[in-house]
Amino acid sequence: MTDMRSEYSKSLIQVGKENLDVVVLGADTSNSLKTSVFGKEFPNRFFNVGIAEANLVTISAGLAISGKIPFASTYAIFLPGRAVDQIRNNIAYPSPPGKKGLNVKLVSSHGGLSVGPDGGSHQQIEDIAIMRVIPNFRVFIPSDTVTVSKLTRLMAKEYGPFYMRMARSKTPLVHSESQDFQIGKGITLRDGSDCTIVSCGITVQMALEAAESLQQEGISCRVLDMFSIKPIDNELLEKAARETGCIVTTEEHNIVGGMGSAVAESVSESYPVPIKRIGVQDMFGESARDNEVPLLLEKHGITSFNMAKQVKEIRSKKL
Amino acid sequence: MGLNYYEIKKNILRARKLVIKATALAGSGHPGGSFSMAEILGCLFNKHLKFDPQNPQWEDRDRLVLSKGHAAPGLFSNMAVMGYFPESELDTLRKFGSRLQGHPDLKCPGVEFCGGSLGTGLSYSIGIALAAKLDSKDYHVYTIIGDGESDEGQIWEAAMTAAKYKVDNLTVFLDRNFIQQDSYTEQVMPLDEKLEGDDISEMWKDASRWKTGDKWRSFGWNVIEIAGHRVEQIDAAITKANATKGVPTMIISRTVKGKSIEHMEDNPEWHGKSPDSDVVPIIDLELDSQFMIAPSIIAGDMTHLENEIKRCISGRSNYIHLDVMDGKFVPNKTFDHTKIKELRPLTIIPFDTHLMINEPVKHVGDYIDAGSDIITVHAEVTDESSFGEIHDLLKQSQVSVGFAINPDTELPEWSYKFLPTIDQLTVMSVVPGKSGQKYIEGTHAKMARLNSILKEHHFSGYIEADGGVNIENIGSIFADGARVFVGGGALIGQQDIRTAIRDFRDAVLKSRRRILLDKAQEIGGTDLVNKWIGLHVVGEKQEQIKKIAQEAEYI
Repeated sequence: MTDMRSEYSKSLIQVGKENLDVVVLGADTSNSLKTSVFGKEFPNRFFNVGIAEANLVTISAGLAISGKIPFASTYAIFLPGRAVDQIRNNIAYPSPPGKKGLNVKLVSSHGGLSVGPDGGSHQQIEDIAIMRVIPNFRVFIPSDTVTVSKLTRLMAKEYGPFYMRMARSKTPLVHSESQDFQIGKGITLRDGSDCTIVSCGITVQMALEAAESLQQEGISCRVLDMFSIKPIDNELLEKAARETGCIVTTEEHNIVGGMGSAVAESVSESYPVPIKRIGVQDMFGESARDNEVPLLLEKHGITSFNMAKQVKEIRSKKL
Repeated sequence: MGLNYYEIKKNILRARKLVIKATALAGSGHPGGSFSMAEILGCLFNKHLKFDPQNPQWEDRDRLVLSKGHAAPGLFSNMAVMGYFPESELDTLRKFGSRLQGHPDLKCPGVEFCGGSLGTGLSYSIGIALAAKLDSKDYHVYTIIGDGESDEGQIWEAAMTAAKYKVDNLTVFLDRNFIQQDSYTEQVMPLDEKLEGDDISEMWKDASRWKTGDKWRSFGWNVIEIAGHRVEQIDAAITKANATKGVPTMIISRTVKGKSIEHMEDNPEWHGKSPDSDVVPIIDLELDSQFMIAPSIIAGDMTHLENEIKRCISGRSNYIHLDVMDGKFVPNKTFDHTKIKELRPLTIIPFDTHLMINEPVKHVGDYIDAGSDIITVHAEVTDESSFGEIHDLLKQSQVSVGFAINPDTELPEWSYKFLPTIDQLTVMSVVPGKSGQKYIEGTHAKMARLNSILKEHHFSGYIEADGGVNIENIGSIFADGARVFVGGGALIGQQDIRTAIRDFRDAVLKSRRRILLDKAQEIGGTDLVNKWIGLHVVGEKQEQIKKIAQEAEYI
């Protein structure tokens, strides 16, 4: 198990060394997000603006229009959840000639229900919906530290506004170091022909476990890591729909407007097949101590057991 | 860059006219907030900002962030005057496919910030200022925020941040016009003190109620408070801000929403409404009819001129008129440039220096060095060559060029070629050199003659009336076309100069209202006259204007 925030911190220092225009901003959560380490390494290129997320976002925009590459980070609940106006009007909307949006990278931690003990007020279950509806933004949810590292580098190189949501808890390694990550390209982690589970974030590992157990029952299940939610990989999804005939989506996000919705939107236009969305059932989360997080996820059906169950059920609805 | 006082004023006027034209064509827009910041933007664009309209992305340019983005017409009109795009493009404001969006947008080259959502421009400016420091660039960031906008919490997040990071390359103007969309700021959300009742002038009059400066000071900013329509005050504040190191500067500029158009001034209705096209010609005339009062201090106590300067300051005069007499060109002798140099540090009010001396070409340099803002020389002691020399020297030194003619002098033909660039034409209505003379009545007829010559030769400056101007005749002198009024005994000679100046202004205002009614009658008859009167809803204006219209038998 490895920690996404530590990986993000390490990657920032790496890209910070390679590119002197990279600057990092925090909002009184920089110890938690470990971005303060960047501040120790590059004191002039780190700005802690206090508990002022609107300010965090807009200062980043000002730095970006002046040629800097700002990475602005805090908890997910306070970034899209709090500063959507600044994200939209100060980062996404302003487009210099020939560009789309400003070159700001918003990276949050503590996305979804797995935030745990802090409770429903801190469990951001709307950020994918908020961020993917804003033009010019690209939205990533990494499933492990390899992804965090590669996407951090990718965002530093690629012009434009990005949102990346990390999980609070440690995660198992899903990808090998050699895995290639491209914007708008999902990753097939396991091939299969009877059904496809499209997953993201911490649910990717669960999807792999569900597929493994289904294998025991003779069901061949494909598993995709759809880390790039916007742009989404329409081609890969259409292929999955054609070849496996049904899809289950999983995420720790409201099923309204989340990755599942994005998949449904895509498939319904390319090759409609039955889809079941697993996620938060349009309600708020609640406190769960660290060792109880699986119980909280289970309440919303976010378990490998339920994924396997839903795969079996949806197969019967195949067209 | 490097324009003189009058040239800046003229460009501000041009920009204001474009705002009216563009918003009237668009059928919507925000003239009120464009006009309250007109002088601020004018001073920035015409004197202080480093920029290149041909290369809007020049990396060393100063950045101008209009946080109160709804005042976009004000920004666009200044950019047009500066040559970023043709003035005719303003006709496309808010139109489908136009670069000139309803709110400032990067789509328009030269615009630095997409305004619209209020309260964010200051944080954005901090980002730019921080980037400049990281890159060791010495460009400056100028930001304009509104007072209604200051309701937004993010303004105060940014206020703390700017102080923390000591962004002394950031200068912010607060366009303190006391009006936001719903109503007066001090009713909606007081920045100073809650306003009971509806008389906004209460907030203006009583400086003890002003708390906004204290707020910014307590946040660690260098705070300068100014009257935001006085070009010289804005100019001085910017210079002071740029010299202040280690802290950001906030220039609190007390302004009037809709400034220059009586019916828009201090009227919350004009926050976001465009004028109807049928009143545009009247508004344009009103914009052309701005005027200045210039007390002549030699009419006071010549042994204590410092004291006369102080009285002018307390009287809020627009200029201080300095009559320099050499005892040769005129029989009397007053003072020379050394005295002006002594007086200069007392005030930043423009010095309107009137040289009644022989061979001005030999001395004009001394009067530039002494700190004059306007220098006027006489036709009787110049010729094409010497005036040309004076003209060029003044222009190079960013001093406004004045040209004066005595009562018996007609405008010499050799001067016609200079008319397009002469900033001020002083028409003497008494024989210079003696005080206490009466206004020569023949001057009215002379003004009529002059006006046609001036028009023919593209004079775009201001006419100054000098000699015997008083409360009785100032209205008719204004109607003749004068826009600057020198007052001797009638101003400086009065015990209460502040009241005397106010009475001068009121008399000119009355005359101006009549001229505007004449225009309404001429182009639209009684209906337009009534419409024009009906627009004036704040205070006593409507009754006063109605009375003038009745006297004229228009209604």
